[in-house]
Amino acid sequence: MRIEFTLNDKAIKIDADASRRLLDVLRDDLGMKSVKEGCGEGECGACVVLVNGRSVNSCMLPAGAIIGKSVVTLEGFKHTERYKAIEKGFLKAGSVQCGFCTPGFVISTESLLNANPRPTDEEIKEALSGNLCRCTGYNMIIKGVRMAMDIGEGLW
Amino acid sequence: MKKPISTSILRVDSRKKLRGEAEYISDWNFENVLYAKTLRSTKPKAKIVSIEIPEIPEGYFIVDKNDVPGANRMRTVVSDHPLFAEDDVQYIGQPILLVVGPERETIYSIASKIKIEYKEEDALFTLEEAEKRSTVFTDYSFQKEDPDNAFKHAHQIIEDDFSTGYQEHVYLEPNGIAAEMKGETLFVYGSMQCPFYVKGALLDAMDMPEDKIRVVQSVTGGAFGGKEEFPSLNGCHVAVATKKTGRPVVMIYDRDEDVICSTKRHPSKTHIKAALDKDNHIVALDIDIKLNAGAYNGLSPVVLQRAIFSATNVYNIKHLNVRGRNYMTNSLPSGAYRGFGAPQSLFALEMMFHNIAVKLGVDPLEYKMQHILKQGDPTCTGGQVREKVVLPEIVERIVKNSDYYNKLNSNKKYQGIGVSLFLHGCGFTGKGETMINGKITLVKKGDGVTLKVSSVEMGQGAETVLRKIVAETLEIPIENVIYEKVDTGLIPDSGPTVASRTTMIVGGLLRDTALEMKKRWKEERFELSKRYEHPKYLSWDDEHFIGDCYPVHSWGANIAEVDVDPVSYELTIKKLYAVYDVGVPIDERALIGQMEGGIAQGIGWATIEVMESQSGRLVQGNLTDYKVPTSMDVPEMECDFVLNPYEFGPFGAKCAGELSFVGSPPAVAEAVANALRKPINHLPIKPETLLEIDNAD
Amino acid sequence: MVDGIRPENLQEALKALSEQKCTIMAGGTDLMVQRARGFALAPEFDMPLLFIDHLEELKKIFIENDEIHIGAAAILTDIVENDIIPKVFREMVQKMASPPTRNMATLAGNICNASPAGDTLPYLYAVDAKIVLQSAKGSRTVAIDEFIVGLKKTCLRSDELVTDIVIPSKVFEHNYYRKLGQRKGMSLTKASMLGMADIKDGKVTDIRIAFGSVSAQILRSEDIEKKLINRTPEDVNQDMPSILADYDVLISPIDDARSTANYRKAVSLRMIKDFIESLTKK
Repeated sequence: MRIEFTLNDKAIKIDADASRRLLDVLRDDLGMKSVKEGCGEGECGACVVLVNGRSVNSCMLPAGAIIGKSVVTLEGFKHTERYKAIEKGFLKAGSVQCGFCTPGFVISTESLLNANPRPTDEEIKEALSGNLCRCTGYNMIIKGVRMAMDIGEGLW
Repeated sequence: MKKPISTSILRVDSRKKLRGEAEYISDWNFENVLYAKTLRSTKPKAKIVSIEIPEIPEGYFIVDKNDVPGANRMRTVVSDHPLFAEDDVQYIGQPILLVVGPERETIYSIASKIKIEYKEEDALFTLEEAEKRSTVFTDYSFQKEDPDNAFKHAHQIIEDDFSTGYQEHVYLEPNGIAAEMKGETLFVYGSMQCPFYVKGALLDAMDMPEDKIRVVQSVTGGAFGGKEEFPSLNGCHVAVATKKTGRPVVMIYDRDEDVICSTKRHPSKTHIKAALDKDNHIVALDIDIKLNAGAYNGLSPVVLQRAIFSATNVYNIKHLNVRGRNYMTNSLPSGAYRGFGAPQSLFALEMMFHNIAVKLGVDPLEYKMQHILKQGDPTCTGGQVREKVVLPEIVERIVKNSDYYNKLNSNKKYQGIGVSLFLHGCGFTGKGETMINGKITLVKKGDGVTLKVSSVEMGQGAETVLRKIVAETLEIPIENVIYEKVDTGLIPDSGPTVASRTTMIVGGLLRDTALEMKKRWKEERFELSKRYEHPKYLSWDDEHFIGDCYPVHSWGANIAEVDVDPVSYELTIKKLYAVYDVGVPIDERALIGQMEGGIAQGIGWATIEVMESQSGRLVQGNLTDYKVPTSMDVPEMECDFVLNPYEFGPFGAKCAGELSFVGSPPAVAEAVANALRKPINHLPIKPETLLEIDNAD
Repeated sequence: MVDGIRPENLQEALKALSEQKCTIMAGGTDLMVQRARGFALAPEFDMPLLFIDHLEELKKIFIENDEIHIGAAAILTDIVENDIIPKVFREMVQKMASPPTRNMATLAGNICNASPAGDTLPYLYAVDAKIVLQSAKGSRTVAIDEFIVGLKKTCLRSDELVTDIVIPSKVFEHNYYRKLGQRKGMSLTKASMLGMADIKDGKVTDIRIAFGSVSAQILRSEDIEKKLINRTPEDVNQDMPSILADYDVLISPIDDARSTANYRKAVSLRMIKDFIESLTKK
């Protein structure tokens, strides 16, 4: 199937099996290694990317379903001002340990703040409930999101 | 004014990870690469009658026991696990062979066409069955003073049973490993905690000279013990494959494969008998611990050792009879997991103390405090508690922080508060550190220093902490301290990244060496190395288990507040207070990060991480069914420290990585026991069980 | 290798279906996992994939004549955020899966998966939802309990597409929903109960009770519900033993990887009691 979509603001045209996972298209065909495979069944969130501004599990998304859509991974997002605010917040709060879950959390944080710029703690926890972290116990990640909101005031 | 060492700094590896630029093994590119998939036993115990391989296209290979140049065994404490199954299999998931080739689709197709004929044999699945058939791998025991006499003259004897279940690490990065030949040298790369363990295993398996094997750690996405001995197995797999095929081989596990076949925390059953005197003081304990080691012994003997040596926890009990046994069952092998046997035995004794206190009608915390060790007291193995025991300060602090007594007295049914006291022995048990005889090297080049150790950064902050120790000692910016790549060809063996030894033992060596380097700082270029020396004032009889099994301990207390839903018995853990003595934190934020992560993992093991085995098959075999805590499942946590510098630790530091895990399970269990006014002796605490417990009468 | 068909509009989709059997791909969150084959391999399908997730005509959510129409390709997040939909249903949907999965998954997909653990189903059964099916030959409307014919089985014909789900816009006065999972975060349901009631002049005028995950299909008994109409909540509460006995016969859960039959049944009965007791307190 001919798959045409936008990746990090660049137009992409590739051929892929209709059921090829977006995760594999991004990692193996297009070199977007920030997107991770943690479970392959939509349970861990390590694979989330933004499609039309919303976080989705790329391990469950078939290639045929991204035609005409806009996909953003950390490779693109890391050049934005919003990313810088998230980075500063996460660094200050100690939100990163082994780092494997981190790209997923950054993307989910952007998806959350894009839809809701001033979430409560409960809303933050709920929005991140699809991202597993085994190292931090989450509290420092939640703190990182709060710090990002303050540091990046006005960006969302 | 110089800031204290504990003042937090930004972790040195975070930014790269945030930008998605950290390269885990599945991100690496290899030229001319082949992929490997493991074919595994579907039977718990069987003879392999035949293996029918279909026709295989050019460029594809089957790799099995016949391809191992050296010994077909995974080297670890007990090297009984075959790399590739020989004539029989002993657990569902046991590796039989690899299918190796350039296209994953074809590998998948070949693997699905391979026909294995098994002749099934009578298998053992549960600890109960194993007990009946006495399939004991290891049997350890020790005594102190005169337990028989103490029980004979006891005013009261109380006994009870406790049990705990499996736990899977669920490091976010599944196991992944790769191997290639570069000229005559074999390189193995992967997600691991112990590169020299992997090297040792390769020496046995590959029949190659020592200087022709190099093991390189890739950025490791979590481990928690699950990548301590396990990579010795998959590392040998890809090494044999690369030797046979002549091309680089990469093997990344699927998550379900990882859940089903990688090592787990040992399930346990513990029976405790307590002898009380007329003042209701516990004067003797008889503790019998049984661990389910699975089909192969592996490193279970060392887990068993820590289980028995931690069995008396923080308490000074005069007479002891402690026995531990590892049982063989036809289930997947149990292995290293944060806490390493201590969580199991410590949970049992904490609940025993709690239950006795409730029975006597006294405050559990008060009752526990009446029995705690002090500096100078004998340890359970007749060594000595040499450090100052700050448990009283810890308890005073945590009671204040949590308002424990007000909550204890005002709680209604279905609301509970519980407290746990705990310790963790720092470094390897017994003579382990002497056997490892770890070595570190510091190299000065101008203003920069390179530190060479075999400790790996796996999220716990080792790179930041060790670089910080060197930088602070030399009073140079941390940017000038380089952490040498963890490649066995470039670094000395400072020991594995386990046993909560990294900061204290390896960091201690680095500190001492840096102090020497400081005296010679004017010299432009030089190198200093140091080997670990076990303190001479410690003694350990490994045959009879007498003496100091650990040089020092870290201590802690946790308090959990729990609500039990009266309709569904689901738990809400509202808050978790923690106070720790880790000597001196080298970096406070990094340490709190470890504490909170350990607390969350402990809560998971105690409550929602249900993993059962039926007829040798894991019932919860993927992340849909095996649940770890999400952001919505963890409580608010408040972590605090009591400073108690350790004379022989770098800047006064002791150990922390596993201490952080062992406290929350008993604290949560006690809170639930408090909420339901019934003993909670078994983990995991499931709503299903609570429903029955609460409605039993 | 599997082909993909990406129709420009609904008509093209129906035409494609009339020409060959296809696997309909909306969010894909059930299908892509059910057919997964592991690391870096594409899930395996034996029929061409018909993608409909992009069809605007199937994403609409609107009210007409006291009925709410939810398009087959409307994602769960859109349902959660659209307040023309009764609050209790939105809360049920918000407890499903996780945020990124809800950004892909559809109500139609949850229905067509026809699992007794399908979290949207208790509500649809409770309100007698209707499923609109279209094919190149025309359309038909089927009640939810006739659409799902068995465990994981529907009466969807090979040339048909679910296009809308129709539910009444009615909001009940008293709403009770509990989903029991393995943890607070995303989890498959061990057991769930939805209870909705209207009370006028002190008497129950309308009451719906539906259970998820405790039988092969969603459990709802209109017979039992009828027995409760025109009575005061206190009166109903007094009759609790007989109501529980009636439901006890119908609740037939299983043991599985997530929970036990005993627990599922016991807690289902406790939830009925909890719901009815809550009505006496209003």
